[in-house]
Amino acid sequence: MSLNPNPHSPPTTNSPPTTSTSTPPKQQDPPPPSQIDTLLQHYLTLLDAYTTQRAALHTQQTALFQNLARANSLEAGRGVGRYGQDWYDGRMQAGRRVRIGLGGEGESGEGEGEERGDEKQGGGSSREAAVFTVEVYPKQPSEEEKPVKDQEEEPDALTTTENQESNGSDANSTPSQPPQDPQQPNPQQPNPKTAAHQTPQTNQTPKAEAENAPKDPLKWFGILTPLPLRQAQSHAITAVEDIIPRLSTLSAEMAAVELEVRRARKRRVKAEKGEGGGGGENERGTRWGFG
Amino acid sequence: MASQADFRDRQFLAVIGDEDSVTGLLLAGIGHVTAPPDNQKNFLVVDAKTDNSAIEAAFENFTTERKDIGIVLINQHVADRIRNRIDTYTQAFPTVLEIPSKDHPYDPEKDSVLRRVRRLFGE
Repeated sequence: MSLNPNPHSPPTTNSPPTTSTSTPPKQQDPPPPSQIDTLLQHYLTLLDAYTTQRAALHTQQTALFQNLARANSLEAGRGVGRYGQDWYDGRMQAGRRVRIGLGGEGESGEGEGEERGDEKQGGGSSREAAVFTVEVYPKQPSEEEKPVKDQEEEPDALTTTENQESNGSDANSTPSQPPQDPQQPNPQQPNPKTAAHQTPQTNQTPKAEAENAPKDPLKWFGILTPLPLRQAQSHAITAVEDIIPRLSTLSAEMAAVELEVRRARKRRVKAEKGEGGGGGENERGTRWGFG
Repeated sequence: MASQADFRDRQFLAVIGDEDSVTGLLLAGIGHVTAPPDNQKNFLVVDAKTDNSAIEAAFENFTTERKDIGIVLINQHVADRIRNRIDTYTQAFPTVLEIPSKDHPYDPEKDSVLRRVRRLFGE
């Protein structure tokens, strides 16, 4: 016990003049390492999200394969064969397509926007990573049709009321007439629905568009497809629309952060080399810095 | 870095995998065959008889020759057959994702993204 303090005390008494001069610059250094730490922290967050999405993809793929096997076993009982490449449509057109944007564009993505925000806060990476989204190819027909429907429905309603006012002198009987008016233009009854399809200039080349339009792949396998095959399709759609684009986006973000980390490491080596250049601590660091 | 026009034209997913994997993903509507003169498919069904050269040729086609592929999905056990080519692939577009198959579960040790992670922390 008495020996221990003695060896400690001499270095502490001798070291203060040397350590007091060397420690302050080491405490001022932290900025570059802390930047790398924040980048690595953000990188680990992305890695965690990637692992989570991987697990989700595994779940969806497992369910997909199970349902496909069930459908195949059902078909095997009928002697039709298994659902595979023999049934593929040789003129298939993609009904779900990729859209790639840059991280700063903010085109779409709810969860991705949060990820982008995290990236900007945590990593502050200068390079914008690509954002992948998979969308149904005939772009969002519902949203485009809605205003058309509204515009068409309003004039229809106005014309019917005008007709009612002009034709019917009995204003009290008008509630019973409106159902009759829509029945008169029975051939035009699909106005709100079919007109919405026709008004987007489909009258010009309806056959060509119908041929080029992507068809439901379920129809390759017949009209009455078994339920497991439909369930397999729903799992596949979830994987393709949600999980795979997220995994691709995360992979791209991780690659961008990897680049930033390597750049920051190089900067740190250069900074260390610049500070250690006066003292000439190690030649290896200087060689790396120039390399 | 790739130009904007480059990656904006990349609108298809491509698949290289066994029959069930390809069938499942085609059910989601990603399958596409180009106009008659070429009739290029964006998928390749791989079985035990498929040569590694055919797999590598399809990978080359999807990643370098075709400019309309945004994501390439490949079964991990198929990727193992052209592992050297997968590991040396460094382009940003199309991105390559390894997916599990029915008979071969996903092994994180072989995943190219997780290999990058180990490389980053191992340096």
